[in-house]
Amino acid sequence: MKFIFKKKLTARIFALLVFMDILETATHLCFKKSVLPEGGFYVANIVDLITFLKAAFFSPFLWLGLLSVLVTFVMWSTVLSKIDLSVAVPVCSFSYVLVPLVSIFFLGEQVNMLRWAGIFFILCGVIFVSLSSQEKEAAHP
Amino acid sequence: MKNELAFILFLIAVSSSFDTITQVILKGAINKLQFSPSANILKILRFILRIVSIPRVWISFLFSALSLCVWLFVLSKTDLNLAFSLDSMHYIFIASASKMVLKEKVGLKRWLGTMLIVVGIVLVTLS
Repeated sequence: MKFIFKKKLTARIFALLVFMDILETATHLCFKKSVLPEGGFYVANIVDLITFLKAAFFSPFLWLGLLSVLVTFVMWSTVLSKIDLSVAVPVCSFSYVLVPLVSIFFLGEQVNMLRWAGIFFILCGVIFVSLSSQEKEAAHP
Repeated sequence: MKNELAFILFLIAVSSSFDTITQVILKGAINKLQFSPSANILKILRFILRIVSIPRVWISFLFSALSLCVWLFVLSKTDLNLAFSLDSMHYIFIASASKMVLKEKVGLKRWLGTMLIVVGIVLVTLS
């Protein structure tokens, strides 16, 4: 039996992609917190390096970050087994919409016209890309 | 100053290309598996084990690490907003590579959507 890929972007895959994006941001924050102590670090010699690596190794944030990388990889692979790469990657740009919107509604940030225009462009782009994935399904029933 | 900007642009292009290579190798390997897990933890785990047992996938991890190194170097050199707005060329790379290497059908609608996203990201990050 030949396996046929379903390439339609469903709401579930979309939600998975958005969640994955948020997780990826969390990963970056975790790594930043684990590796960079306040005030920066300066590695001058091997003893400093060992101290630095030891501190990083025992930091819970490092392990949290690695776990989050693992989960992201599992989710990303699962998504890629279901839809085209040229659909999955553009849809990930939805985080560029999500972050400003969250900062507007929860942090009361001021947003200028240019940024609104950008948000609008990205939204339109994501809609077009999603539509193109539905079209394909219809062409090959 | 102009030289420096060109250098940053070059580095971002390198980082984006490496990430594109990562994604294309991974997607190619997954396509070859011809298997898509359902919402079942055991099936997903088996799927992941099958992916990581493909040698090519480890090469893609290497490219991913390289891409991250170059990207971190870029971030240490330049303004965050500028870096993110220039990084939007990544989407064009991915669409082209998907079309040429993976033979995905990137039609007019998908190109239009990708271009709109690129313009949008430039507007959001530079504003």
